[in-house]
Amino acid sequence: MPKGFKTKNGYATAVDRGGLNYRQIAEKMNAAGIKMNHSTARNVFLSALKKIATPICETLSVDQDPDDLSRNPDFQSSIAQIVADIYSEQDI
Amino acid sequence: MSQTSISAYFHDVGKHNLLTKAEEVKLAIAIQNGSEAARAKMIQSNLRLAVSIAKKYQNRGCDLEDLIQEANVGLMKAVTRFDHTLGFKFSTYACWWIKQTVRRHITSHSTTIRMPSHAKDKLWKIKGVRKEYEEEFGVLPTMEEVADILGTTVETLRSIESCSGSTVSIDKSIRFKNSSGGSEGRKLADIIPDDEAPDIDAVIDRVKIKEAIREALGNLSSREEKIVRMRFGIVEDDKNHEKFPITTKEIRALKAEAKKR
Repeated sequence: MPKGFKTKNGYATAVDRGGLNYRQIAEKMNAAGIKMNHSTARNVFLSALKKIATPICETLSVDQDPDDLSRNPDFQSSIAQIVADIYSEQDI
Repeated sequence: MSQTSISAYFHDVGKHNLLTKAEEVKLAIAIQNGSEAARAKMIQSNLRLAVSIAKKYQNRGCDLEDLIQEANVGLMKAVTRFDHTLGFKFSTYACWWIKQTVRRHITSHSTTIRMPSHAKDKLWKIKGVRKEYEEEFGVLPTMEEVADILGTTVETLRSIESCSGSTVSIDKSIRFKNSSGGSEGRKLADIIPDDEAPDIDAVIDRVKIKEAIREALGNLSSREEKIVRMRFGIVEDDKNHEKFPITTKEIRALKAEAKKR
């Protein structure tokens, strides 16, 4: 990425919601006996979000690649809120 | 005053003949000398003028009967103050007094929120200027042009116009015909849209999305679910460690550790 480059949408603010960064997640998972580095943590997270984005695209008939959508910071922020709501309603 | 009585009043008013200019002068002199009969004659002969002016102000929130009554009050004022030596016909002089009295009555009684008399006067002037301008140039004047003609600011005109709207009760009944031809009563409040109410389509979409996400979360592997929870900062009770790998306390410790680095 060139110096001074700014992404179109910026980064998702998971940390503002009390979430962990990928390094902290990797550390935590290692401590729990699941070996992974920060890149793997990110890949697993994006894979999970893709699984969430796919049915959303189908439900709303959105003509967008779920892979791209899952990387979108706005989408991630929105999903974070909804997922938090769902977890607060019931334990999945 | 009922429809019959107002018709009778119009009939009575029509019985009095109009005065010539010479008769007006003669009566004016007699009025100045304190003749009550001359005063009565002058008033009665001009009742038609009062009715004619009052009729022009109908449908502005006041009853015609009230308007006629006010017009007559204005007429009486005009009779008292008329100066025949200036050489004008009485009707020319009286019509301004009648109009003023009628307008003042409308200002005070036509709306729930009372507008100051000067503001209402300006409103009449705005309407008058617009009408004259349209008649002369064939187009309506802009707000700036009206302000320029009246020697005031656009802000003042906008403010006066915005206050001039009539008020109506939100519980006012509105009747409309239903499919069977009968009429149904609904209140105004029933048909005013609530702009702040949530968009029903958006609500449905949100429910659908939530359902889709709920289902998708169930399909995540244990590892994915743990990472999603950690990334989104979704923590559970500190005492329940079985289904969730991290607690608030642990997050705080991890953050403190990260800051040290």
